[in-house]
Amino acid sequence: MSTPLSDLMLNDRGFVFDPASGETFQLNPTGLRIVRLLQSGLSHDAALTQMVSEFEVDEHTAQRDFSDFLENAVRLGWRIE
Amino acid sequence: MNRLPYIRPNIQRLQAGPVNPFRLGSSPSCVEIDGVPVAELARNYGSPLFVFSEKALREKYREAHRAFSRRYPDVQFAWSYKTNYLNAICRVFHQEGSIAEVVSGFEYEKARRNGVDGSKIIFNGPHKERADLERAVNERAMIQVDNIDELLTLASIVRDRTEPVSIALRVHLQTGTHTVWSKFGFNGDDGEVLQIIRRITTLHNLRLQGLHCHVGTFILDPENYRVAARRLVELAIEAEKIGAGQIRYLNLGGGFASHARLHYQYLPPEQTTPSLDRYAEAICETIIGLWPAGRDLPRLYLETGRALVDDAGYLISSVVAVKKRHLPSQMQTAMAAYGKSAAVMPQGNSRHALVLDAGINLLYTTAWYQPKILPARPCLDTPEPTTVFGCLCMNIDVIREDAPLPSLTTGDQVVLHPVGAYNITQSMQFITYRPAVVMIDSERKVHVIRRRENLDYVQELEAIPEHLATRTAVSRPEPHILAVA
Ligand SMILES: Cc1ncc(COP(=O)(O)O)c(C=O)c1O
Repeated sequence: MSTPLSDLMLNDRGFVFDPASGETFQLNPTGLRIVRLLQSGLSHDAALTQMVSEFEVDEHTAQRDFSDFLENAVRLGWRIE
Repeated sequence: MNRLPYIRPNIQRLQAGPVNPFRLGSSPSCVEIDGVPVAELARNYGSPLFVFSEKALREKYREAHRAFSRRYPDVQFAWSYKTNYLNAICRVFHQEGSIAEVVSGFEYEKARRNGVDGSKIIFNGPHKERADLERAVNERAMIQVDNIDELLTLASIVRDRTEPVSIALRVHLQTGTHTVWSKFGFNGDDGEVLQIIRRITTLHNLRLQGLHCHVGTFILDPENYRVAARRLVELAIEAEKIGAGQIRYLNLGGGFASHARLHYQYLPPEQTTPSLDRYAEAICETIIGLWPAGRDLPRLYLETGRALVDDAGYLISSVVAVKKRHLPSQMQTAMAAYGKSAAVMPQGNSRHALVLDAGINLLYTTAWYQPKILPARPCLDTPEPTTVFGCLCMNIDVIREDAPLPSLTTGDQVVLHPVGAYNITQSMQFITYRPAVVMIDSERKVHVIRRRENLDYVQELEAIPEHLATRTAVSRPEPHILAVA
């Protein structure tokens, strides 16, 4: 059982509540931004482009961290479309 | 566009409720306060003992003042007396430049005796005696009118004066908090305030100069202030349109959060309490952005209480007994519901417990907040959930249901923090004497700012009727004589 990203409840400080499992998580500000972008309906590519335009990061690093982050999210029981 | 600094994105799973406070591994301790050993304080001034850090008071005040004055040209803080009206504390804030905010004749008189001029007193509250209002009018205090009866009393006081008297109106607003403090002032959302303002324009000798709104207390979201500030500005503009003249000041009350932790609060205060800059930004940006161009900005008053004093106050207390406590499962549920405990107990159905020499009569705020309790000596063992009882002979005297504490023994001291807001003013003498209060100054010198109570002090106001005055107080009735069969 995994929880679709759209069901996760977040606050502005990156605190996440998963209503399906009752578990709670803490995102750092960049992690929070990624989840927000994906929740808003952006594709992975579009979210990545947006991250690079908002943060001081090169595309290569951003891409690597982005995939690591999503893998980690899946391991923690989140469903990434 | 300026890009933000990048950090690797990260997710961390948080531990379930009650486990979180015990993640720390080793036990944190509080061996000294502002460089003065806790053991020495307890030895010299007794236990329990309230301790205030003058340095922390001044630093916090300056931080708050800086946060606002950097963003706004005309800011004035008014020390909220009820939050802590020990004279030494009030005087520290007055020295720093704060005027006074009072809510009764008693507090008004206290502020005057602390050297505050009447014109530097903001007079709030839902009940102001006529005599107190007369005095406030004569001394040109800033009266924040709470209700229509008060307004009419004031109108009758000022009727025959030669000069008009300035007043402000207290307003309550829907700002997004759980509850609106509608007990106080006039409704600013449904037109009631505007009706009252129209009424003021018809009253002789009263001039509306200010609008006041105290959103609530321990407000964790600065956005509530953004809404309050916006609504006050809108009301000020409307007030002028209906002939009340220009509003000279906006008073945003108090309510900024300290680093206390609510019972149900999951994340520690370091993560939840907004910085004073964030409150300042919400308020100042809003007023500056919305105030009509070309008009002098109104003066901004703030009546910040707990955020300035809470973190500067400690209570030293001593362990007087160590216990083990058995908790049947239904009681665990009940305690969780009562709000002082997490629902799951890592130790099964028994728990360590301590009795301290201080009770909840000194710690009124433990009804809502859970103070940190730290041992006053370094401890190597891991903290375990421990119930901390107070010393009162009452079952409800529980200071913390499950504080993470290492094993302590009788005679050990602990330090409770933060306890500087509202505990002193709301404490009551009950069963034992209230303790001394000391303040550590910036040179680490310790000053007693309130002595420990004694029997003479507690009984000072009592009187004994003549027929009870003889010293043989206990008379003994004849015992029943039972017939032996
Ligand atoms: C009118 C008014 N001003 C200021 C305060 C101080 O509030 P706080 O200690 O939350 O800053 C209060 C407290 O309730 C209040 O009622």
